[in-house]
Amino acid sequence: MYPAPFQYHRAKTVDEAVGLLAGIGEGARVLAGGQSLLAILKLRFDEPTDLVDIGRIANLDQIDDAGEVINIGALATHNRIGASAIAEAIPIVSDCANGIADNQVRNLGTIGGSVASGDPSCDWPTLLHTLDGEILCQGPDGARTLDINGFVEDLYQTALKPAEIITGLRFKKPAAGSGGAYCTFKRCAPAYPTIAVGVQLTIRNGQVDSSRIALGSAGLTPIRASAAEAELTGGSLGADEINKAAEAAVAAADPYDDRRGSAEFKRQLIATLTKRAIAIAQRRAGGETVKNSPEYY
Amino acid sequence: MTWVGKSLQRKEDGRLIRGQGLFADDEHSDSMLHLYILRSPYAHARIASIDVSAAQALPGVACVLTGSDIKEQCVPYMQLGPAPCDKIVDLPLATDKVIFQGEPVAAVAADSAAIAMDAGLLIEVEYEMLDAVVDPEEALEDKILLHEAAATNRTYHDVFEYGEVDKAFSDAAHVVKINRLHFHRFASTPVENNACTAEWNQRGDLDFLCNNSFAGFSMQLLAPSLRLPVEKLRIRSYDIGGSFGVKIWNYVYMALAALASRKCGGRKVKWSETRTEHLQGSGHGNERTFLDTEVALDKDGVITAIKSRHIDDCGAYPRYEPLGCIIWAQVLPATYGVRNFRIDFTQTVTNKCPVVPNRGYSRMQHLWFMERIVDICAHELAIPADEMRLKNYIREFPYETPNGCIYDSGNYPAMLEKAKQMIDWDGWKQKQIEAREQGRLLGIGIGTTLDSGTNNFGQAQIMNPNLPFSGNSEVCIICLDLDGSVVVSLGTGPSGQGHETTTSQVVADELNIDPSMITVRTGFDSAWNAFSGHSGTYASQFAVSGLSAVYGACQKLKAQMRQLAGFMLKADAAELEFGVGEEGPQLSVKGTDKSINYWFMSNLVNSNNALLDDSLADVTLNVRHVYRPPFEVPDTEKKFGNLTLTYAAQLHIAVVEIDTDTCRPNILAYAAIDDCGKVINPQIVNGQVAGGTAHGIGAVLMESFDYDEVGNLLTATFSDYCPLTVMNMPDVQYGSIETPSPFSYNGAKGMGEGGGAPLHTLSAAIQDALYAEGIIVTDSHHSAPRVFERLRAPNREATVSVESRRVGAQ
Ligand SMILES: Cc1cc2nc3c(=O)[nH]c(=O)nc-3n(C[C@H](O)[C@H](O)[C@H](O)COP(=O)(O)OP(=O)(O)OC[C@H]3O[C@@H](n4cnc5c(N)ncnc54)[C@H](O)[C@@H]3O)c2cc1C
Repeated sequence: MYPAPFQYHRAKTVDEAVGLLAGIGEGARVLAGGQSLLAILKLRFDEPTDLVDIGRIANLDQIDDAGEVINIGALATHNRIGASAIAEAIPIVSDCANGIADNQVRNLGTIGGSVASGDPSCDWPTLLHTLDGEILCQGPDGARTLDINGFVEDLYQTALKPAEIITGLRFKKPAAGSGGAYCTFKRCAPAYPTIAVGVQLTIRNGQVDSSRIALGSAGLTPIRASAAEAELTGGSLGADEINKAAEAAVAAADPYDDRRGSAEFKRQLIATLTKRAIAIAQRRAGGETVKNSPEYY
Repeated sequence: MTWVGKSLQRKEDGRLIRGQGLFADDEHSDSMLHLYILRSPYAHARIASIDVSAAQALPGVACVLTGSDIKEQCVPYMQLGPAPCDKIVDLPLATDKVIFQGEPVAAVAADSAAIAMDAGLLIEVEYEMLDAVVDPEEALEDKILLHEAAATNRTYHDVFEYGEVDKAFSDAAHVVKINRLHFHRFASTPVENNACTAEWNQRGDLDFLCNNSFAGFSMQLLAPSLRLPVEKLRIRSYDIGGSFGVKIWNYVYMALAALASRKCGGRKVKWSETRTEHLQGSGHGNERTFLDTEVALDKDGVITAIKSRHIDDCGAYPRYEPLGCIIWAQVLPATYGVRNFRIDFTQTVTNKCPVVPNRGYSRMQHLWFMERIVDICAHELAIPADEMRLKNYIREFPYETPNGCIYDSGNYPAMLEKAKQMIDWDGWKQKQIEAREQGRLLGIGIGTTLDSGTNNFGQAQIMNPNLPFSGNSEVCIICLDLDGSVVVSLGTGPSGQGHETTTSQVVADELNIDPSMITVRTGFDSAWNAFSGHSGTYASQFAVSGLSAVYGACQKLKAQMRQLAGFMLKADAAELEFGVGEEGPQLSVKGTDKSINYWFMSNLVNSNNALLDDSLADVTLNVRHVYRPPFEVPDTEKKFGNLTLTYAAQLHIAVVEIDTDTCRPNILAYAAIDDCGKVINPQIVNGQVAGGTAHGIGAVLMESFDYDEVGNLLTATFSDYCPLTVMNMPDVQYGSIETPSPFSYNGAKGMGEGGGAPLHTLSAAIQDALYAEGIIVTDSHHSAPRVFERLRAPNREATVSVESRRVGAQ
């Protein structure tokens, strides 16, 4: 289990990283926490000529929650986010951060890497769909901001341009009366979810003002289940509405058979987790503290 | 002060916790070479050509081995089975064709592991694909042959018949027929993969530091294959990170490191598996299918006879097989008093990873089968699960089974009672009624199992009368070293079972000294000469075989020490006392201040012997004892005889609720009662019980080696083959009873494997939850996706039928 030989570069700044990537061209890959990339290299699914390590770039792991918008540096690790003030204030962030893999992976894996992987099983892209997130990038042509919707274009494919790197992620602080939940069902800690569902609801006077529902590991990309959201928005979370939302979530998904289970099994899980996430989100929106961690087989 | 029976802290743990253990892969030197094994991506293919030129040319590569080197340099490993097994050619590298995915086809030794792998991937192998056969029943049709010279895939077939089966069936009040049961493929994946370093120097001596767990046996197969006398082979191990039987067969590939070392002029070569290599190509547990089972019962639900057809799937090479075709018979009737059996037993090879004697080996599969039968019959005849067991349990001990095995002691009803109390059986029964009213699927299951320990190798002769194996033995050397310290060497080579600790406890009691005053050497070393052909850690036997050897060695040493002390102190042997004085461990004359310490005794024998006279000529203070259990060769025609010395038992009860949404079987409560006779060290026994329970739960809920129809292993990483972690482990309540064995000096029974109790128990609990849904539990694996499939396809009608008649009413 050794990667093919490669050149290693350590960038000290974002500009340097972008410069290196642009200079080397196609054979270069960004290395952040290495928790996805190293496995790929060790299995020799990919044999890049050069790795540009961005892991030591200063201040790219900061979490800034001073204003209305929360900014998370691309290098913030899952555990750093999971232990942060935002995880405490926004429980759905804690659900996601602390539910990823095991401590070893959470100590090294970064949110930027998770989003850049374009892996439908990675949790952060699904969560960012739930929170309407944006992606801050910098490339040879300068900086730009991308919407999470459409960012993952296909399996392992993102809207990043050559030599462009993610520098941060951001999303608006959920409004008062808003609550969310991120529910996963997985075989064991070091396995990716079989299905993940994120739900964020804003409830005013018993009525759903707005809702977001996103699905992970449910197709080739993370999936925003807009039709399911529509079933809830404007309603009062009656059993019928919730069932319809769950059905709509299933309809939005495109799961496939793999070792985690058959597509049909996954559809049943999508319905189940959608309902469970709605229930927790509803209680949290009402100010209740609800513990929520991944469910293992 | 007695030490046996106390939870003495494990002596091993200090070094292990501090990271000071020495595992095979820890061995390092700068001049060492590293081995990469290139493995077949295909399950069945002819090797048309291999081109190693690019690999050989890569800087840093020392040598490349292919099948043609191996054919010249190795004699195929001895096959244990009778014809046609003798036609099977098993070598460390595939030569003409590959027969399982992950089978080694070439090996590269290079300056670093990375270079070795780079080179390995430059080897060009041209394969001609052949159809693969992964289904055992299909394999038995012999349309696709793995070993063409054998002309069949069948490695074993015989019928095990005892009692009056036909009469029992014609007298039966009920006959329950179950058309198919299946025990799935998994393994108890040790934390440490297979690894070794080999150095085959120019004098012809071959030295291994390895993690083989059955060295006494392995040497007998490895040496002749390398055309070496055993004396030229030195096998050492230090700490071993778990084996569970899987590491019995790693010598097959240790040979590659040795051959590479010789080819590279005697440089040391390290081989260290990756996890995927381990999962694909080291060893799996036996998979077994049970067909056309018929169970005869009397009007009260007492089982009188069982007929069945069993097909064991041993993967591509038999290796330790077809021994498993006999080993199950150690527990033929399980814990039940059934006297009439006809078991038609067949084994086949398939294009899958070879099997190894994995924890619970072969008995677990059979015990699961027996427990499924008892459980299904109880449901079909509407007899409560606990009553069904009580009607059928063996109660008198020692008990001779229909095939001549002697169950030493036990009390299964007491274990059941204790487990029921511990888990609150009545309370759960009530909750079950409520749950059912709410449409919830809640079940309570009992699993009773046996852990037969210290086996009689004579059973191998039932399979092949020409095999030169019978009985059993273990070896202990105990000496007073030059400075008088007590040093013990064993042949067992443990893999986490705490032999250093329990051995110290026994020696401490015998010499009346503190366990800290005893050094038990770590691991195994053939150079200590403390081994026999049976030496190793396997088959739940240390507490009996190993400690009996230790005890016997102590008696011999004590006799010599008494003789020497008596001579020096001019005292009668009977007046001497063992103990610890101001100058350390000593012998003293009762009621006097006369004593002689260990240092002086050793000094007299080793460095100062002019003080001794001829009467002490045999006193060496360095004694070797071989323990031999009282076995006879079984009657191979009748397949009758005592196959194992002790029978530890486990009884587990689980409460499971199937989440109807996620289909996950949630374990709500779990109780485990253990009886291994006299307990030497409760903490160590508890560790073994907890580990065995975890392995069993993991096998049921998570772990399965799944192959597709062309023989690709679909679960070849830890994210697909998910071993149980602490996160998946329910709270387990542990308890025990103690029925001492009359057959061991200390009343202990071998334990450790655990008989796969959770497989039986959880299958029964899931059965209880699903019976009303028209579902019969016919498989041993119950991951959520499997339960999902099951729930959507009730199978009772297609699986079970009951014929009842009123007996005596004609
Ligand atoms: C055993 C195991 C289990 C796991 N389970 C889960 C799980 O349950 N859920 C989950 O979400 N994840 C899981 N992961 C993945 C983990 O979350 C990774 O940390 C994450 O996917 C990638 O982050 P990284 O920092 O390690 O990125 P790396 O592995 O370093 O990089 C991943 C990819 O992203 C690119 N990249 C990284 N950073 C940037 C950047 N800033 N800009 C542009 N491109 C970049 C790299 O070039 C590479 O292609 C698991 C990983 C392991 C090893």
